[in-house]
Amino acid sequence: METNTPAIPSRTETIRGFKEAGGKIAAVLPIHYPRALLRAFGLLPVEVWGPPRVDSSHGAAHLQPYVCSIALNALSFLLVGGLDVADCIIVPHACDALQGLGSLLLDFISPRQPVFPLYLPRGRRESDLQFLADEFRALYARLERITGRSPTDADLMKSIRREELADGLLAELHRRRPSLPLDDLAFYRLIRSREYLPAEAFAELARSVLETPPTDSSRGVPLILSGIVPEPMALLEAVARMGGTFVADDLACAGRRLYPPGDSEDPFRRMAERILNGPPDPTRGSPIAERADHLIGTAHKTGARGVVFYIIKFCEPELFDLPLLRRTLQEAGLPSLIVEVDLNDPLPQQVLTRIEAFLEVVG
Amino acid sequence: MNPIASLRYHWNVNLLGRAILRWQRIRAQRRPPRWDTRYLAPPLKVGARMKELVGRHWLAGRYTKGCRKVAWVTSGAPVELLKALDFYVLYPENHAAICGTARVAVEIASEAESAGYSRDLCSYARTDIGAVLSGKTPVGRLPRPDLLLACTNICQTVLYWYRVLAHHFRVPLVLIDTPFVYTEEAAEHAVRYVRRQLEEAVPLLEKAAGKRLNERRLRQAALLSKRASELWLEILQRCRHRPAPISVFDQFVQMAPIVEMRGEPATVDFYATMLREVDERIAGGMGAVRNERKRVLWDNLPIWYRLRYLAEFLARRGVAVVASTYTNAWGELAPLIDPDEPFESMARTYIYPILNRGTGHKLATMKRMVEEYQLNGAILHSDRSCKPYSIGQMDQRDRLIREVGIPALLLEADHNDSRAFAEEQVATRLTAFVEMLGE
Ligand code: SF4
Ligand code: SF4
Repeated sequence: METNTPAIPSRTETIRGFKEAGGKIAAVLPIHYPRALLRAFGLLPVEVWGPPRVDSSHGAAHLQPYVCSIALNALSFLLVGGLDVADCIIVPHACDALQGLGSLLLDFISPRQPVFPLYLPRGRRESDLQFLADEFRALYARLERITGRSPTDADLMKSIRREELADGLLAELHRRRPSLPLDDLAFYRLIRSREYLPAEAFAELARSVLETPPTDSSRGVPLILSGIVPEPMALLEAVARMGGTFVADDLACAGRRLYPPGDSEDPFRRMAERILNGPPDPTRGSPIAERADHLIGTAHKTGARGVVFYIIKFCEPELFDLPLLRRTLQEAGLPSLIVEVDLNDPLPQQVLTRIEAFLEVVG
Repeated sequence: MNPIASLRYHWNVNLLGRAILRWQRIRAQRRPPRWDTRYLAPPLKVGARMKELVGRHWLAGRYTKGCRKVAWVTSGAPVELLKALDFYVLYPENHAAICGTARVAVEIASEAESAGYSRDLCSYARTDIGAVLSGKTPVGRLPRPDLLLACTNICQTVLYWYRVLAHHFRVPLVLIDTPFVYTEEAAEHAVRYVRRQLEEAVPLLEKAAGKRLNERRLRQAALLSKRASELWLEILQRCRHRPAPISVFDQFVQMAPIVEMRGEPATVDFYATMLREVDERIAGGMGAVRNERKRVLWDNLPIWYRLRYLAEFLARRGVAVVASTYTNAWGELAPLIDPDEPFESMARTYIYPILNRGTGHKLATMKRMVEEYQLNGAILHSDRSCKPYSIGQMDQRDRLIREVGIPALLLEADHNDSRAFAEEQVATRLTAFVEMLGE
């Protein structure tokens, strides 16, 4: 298949450009946070999903070996100076591992930048919405102190609308994925640039891709990819070589963050609404049945024939749901496969062999 | 309510069951102690009473069908609301700990593992899910829940676990989400959020209970909780004496009622009796460890399946484990409970358990205990499948060594999964630790 990979600015270039224009950088750990709020303060959120391939021994001096490699690598990356470019660090409370990491940073590691934890409620009730809006107000007050800025409600709404537009285009990319002239690797490079590009730059990039003529959509056995993050990205190439393609995902870094636009005219509530109304996510407390319905619905829409659960070792939010989730999918005629990985291991042959066997079964 | 079921409950629990359990208690009191009394004091007399009390609790669970509504709850849940609504309250964590001490946890957890639950998950959760799937339990039978109540003040794991239970049993799951307290004080909006959820939970609980919440009964339950927690704290604080009248291993064994029977008059009576016995020991100069040379702290959950081994191993070397962040957690919040302001005080109480507070707060608690209990060292159980309690221990250990100047050991194990316990390695590490404590 022909791939017209768009030119995507790198993280380093983006950060440099943003700083040169007078902006600041917020390093953000997974998963959910209010991008619009940070941007209203002139902070560019740059997300830290691991990253893979860092010397994890630095983090291992603080975290036991049974903590997931996302938390371990993030800490290692920070300790080797990988986040020096950041002016503050945001640690959303996604799980017990990130809770512990946030607390360690505050109490023991004390990086030179301020660390702002952010608690995410686990329900979707009115009380959850009110709390999250209040949590964002508290973050606003902290950002005010470090930036010296006080964006108005109108500034915030402008920033929110900019993010909503970018997210709308992101959702469109996901929807039109089978006909986009991008293979899986190129597609994920593109959508994952949302992790660091300013919304307006991402929107421009997304538009340019959406404007290219559609291509033939038959790329292999269609699958859904579920989990946290598709690392190492070599996975995507390897699956393509084996005759498979990911037509949709339920990844924490991608599909679980297709936030719909908000309704409220109160900017804090609106930012909270967007996150709480996002697709089901175990770290936000979504019931297993809701996740199953979402995956089955996605398979119907995209023609996916199976789900690959690509699980980071020790990731409890993922691991708990799997037995019942898989059973429900199986009953609905959607087979699935679990592979467990560690960000610090190269893609193991054994994982590929299992995916290949799975492709044979569902193909 | 079904009158036949009520009659059956009354007969089996209050009449026949009570008589049998009392008889078992009397027999137990006459039995020679099972642990090595050359190094350890004989077991507390009150222990047999605790078994009777807890036995009745589990017995009652077997006969709830048709006459009492059943709620399964997490250990840090605001149980007062459920008590006031007459629920039979079951704590899966406690049940899992019973399986751990009875050494059947691995067999039961394997049932969950065969069903696809990873061995990396919390071993309490695996034990509970295994019991649900297989029906295996050392307590006879677990009553089916009508309602689940999960409070995230100990970890997020409980919510994942209870979602599994909710899906399995198809019953409502009520969530009390308690934002993690990273700093010294919880933010006001976080307390407000917890309070709002408590209030919002009432109609859901009332619906499941089939009755209205009575404010007077709620205040009464809060008062009983407070009183039991105060007594528990007093008992723990008696360990400031030298020699300490009881050890942390005694505390682990005797803590079941404070966890699973808060808000009941029998729990208050039980701890009042225990306090008297502890005071008698102090008056008689009896220490839990016969030759108490050194006093140390225990951090994190117990290793349920090796309590006796650890107690004897250390006692033989004159080491008494006299304070623990874990047992302390069920007493330290007693002052926050205000029966006259149940909702506001529940919101404040239930947001502040040690597990819902930062790693620095835990270190500060340990430092305070080192001072108050005059401790010579600390054992930090690095609990493979309890991440929220364990993350932070590597830095906490370093600070205890550096800033407090005591030896501190990180002991790798798991609270309920004996497959993570390497006896030889544990013995080597404990021996080296004891040597570091000095003469
Ligand atoms: S991989 Fe799982 S456990 Fe690790 S930080 Fe992400 S959500 Fe938490
Ligand atoms: S043992 Fe740890 S992970 Fe398991 S329920 Fe308790 S606090 Fe949560």
